[in-house]
Amino acid sequence: MLTITKYTIKEMIKKRAFLLIAILTVGYLFIYGYGLSLAFHSSNSFTGNVPDIGKILLESQLLSAGLYFSNFIVAFLIVLTSVGAVSGDVESGAIYALLYKPLKRYGYVLGKFIGLGIIITVYSTLLFLSVIGLNIAFGTKVYLELGNILRALFFFDLGPVVLLSLVIASSSIMSTVNTGVLAVMTYGIAMIGGILEQMGSFSTDATSQGLSNVGIITSLILPTDVIFRKMNAELLTQNTGLSFLAQGPFGGTSQPSPYMFVYIAFYICFLLYYGARKFEKRDL
Amino acid sequence: MILETQNLTKQFDGKGGFKDVNISIDSGMVFGFLGPNGAGKSTFVKTMVGLLHPTSGFGWINGFSIGTIESKRQIGFLPENFKYYDWMTGKELMKFHAELYKMKNPYKKIEELLDLVKLKGHENKKIKNYSKGMQQRIGLAIALLNDPEVIFLDEPTSALDPVGRIDVREIIKRLKDDGKTVFLNSHLLSEVEMVCDEVAIINHGHVIAEGKLENLLSKNTYVEMVISDYDSELIEKISKLAYDIVFKDGKLTFKIKDKDSIPEIAKIVVDSGAKLYQLNSKTSSLEDLFINIVGKDEDVC
Repeated sequence: MLTITKYTIKEMIKKRAFLLIAILTVGYLFIYGYGLSLAFHSSNSFTGNVPDIGKILLESQLLSAGLYFSNFIVAFLIVLTSVGAVSGDVESGAIYALLYKPLKRYGYVLGKFIGLGIIITVYSTLLFLSVIGLNIAFGTKVYLELGNILRALFFFDLGPVVLLSLVIASSSIMSTVNTGVLAVMTYGIAMIGGILEQMGSFSTDATSQGLSNVGIITSLILPTDVIFRKMNAELLTQNTGLSFLAQGPFGGTSQPSPYMFVYIAFYICFLLYYGARKFEKRDL
Repeated sequence: MILETQNLTKQFDGKGGFKDVNISIDSGMVFGFLGPNGAGKSTFVKTMVGLLHPTSGFGWINGFSIGTIESKRQIGFLPENFKYYDWMTGKELMKFHAELYKMKNPYKKIEELLDLVKLKGHENKKIKNYSKGMQQRIGLAIALLNDPEVIFLDEPTSALDPVGRIDVREIIKRLKDDGKTVFLNSHLLSEVEMVCDEVAIINHGHVIAEGKLENLLSKNTYVEMVISDYDSELIEKISKLAYDIVFKDGKLTFKIKDKDSIPEIAKIVVDSGAKLYQLNSKTSSLEDLFINIVGKDEDVC
């Protein structure tokens, strides 16, 4: 399993796609940083000695938007690099030379998951810290404490791991194309569900309850969006108590219950178990 | 027996694959598995190496059930549709596979095998820059990395030029000399004939002939005689030991079931008073045998 992990990481690093992703990420951060510099220095952020609340709100929204799109980029990185993690080897025939060896099939699946998980977590962490770093560098007035940042980082990295577990399980059972379709569609459903849930949280009538329920259901299908909302809340409201900072389309007003995180742990374990089990029984 | 199967069956939704295959192979043999395209050869090999799960029946490699980690430790395999990670160099690929076997210090073995398959000097090139033949050579080297007891070669020369084919043949002979068992899956009959001790012929998923190559071929020995002054009584006597008797252009040709019949038939001819001018025996090639057996099987089907 460790050999598969090691060579999965090597493959990601050696392939030019990774270099391309790194270059495009730098481009993305440059544009984001440029946007921040314009927004943060457009006017004085103090009215006398009191910080302008509207300005802080704008800055928190820019931070949330930066993290939201970073999260989106990581998700697409997962889809593009991992949909063929197992199925690609099966379809190309590379699997034949691997699995006649004394290597457990579940070890191969988990090795791929861990290898890709390490790479994606490193990338996701760097992206998260870069976005936070840019906001701090441009003098954001949003209160960001190290503890909040680390807790938020945990949740920022957890989302991709959840998506990766779905992709690896699917790739172990289905074709690369089907896995790609499944990953994109479920991610899209989770995203839309999350936005609807956020909208539902603004009012208390029956329609809003319905919207919240849609969000809960989509979170059960793929809990990436709910994890992002939790991350946003951890970063922006847990310490300051200013819940309005986490509002907006990218915010985390609607909070998941602790049971959701028990479900997420079960979700990852179950998908990996199911994918590996199916792969064990699969004819290659 | 180093390799044995008992009613081993692999079917896909009740179709294709192979059915009730019973094979026993002694250690140190080169065993040829023949059959037309789609007969079930590759499916059988994939089942033996644990890539496919049998529908029913049993198989053992060196006493271990097929598909188990223990049986996989005994084998090397060169797949027919080989494909290796093309972003690696030849040497990296070998090292990767050595690590899958948890080999402690594989470098000497890797050098040795690269030399054996004549890829020395190409080991630092990326696999994607290898020709198809070179990829097949590195595949063969990988199949031998763990010094396996049984080596499954599925169409090992399909991408090789004539020189490459000779090289592979030499490697197979060397493996046999080292006491290894080679299971050669091929439809190149001349190749099989040159290296195999035993063969099995499979068609439509069933083994329709199996045995030592020389025994199978000797069953198809043709005898051609030029005789004169014979009578019908002589023909009758010969027909008891031979079949498919044809008299044409002064020549009597027939097939015999056993080579030992030849001196007996010659004695009958001489004792009958007929004049024997010429006697030639010709053992049929594997190709003749294959066409004969598979052709008959097709007729039955």
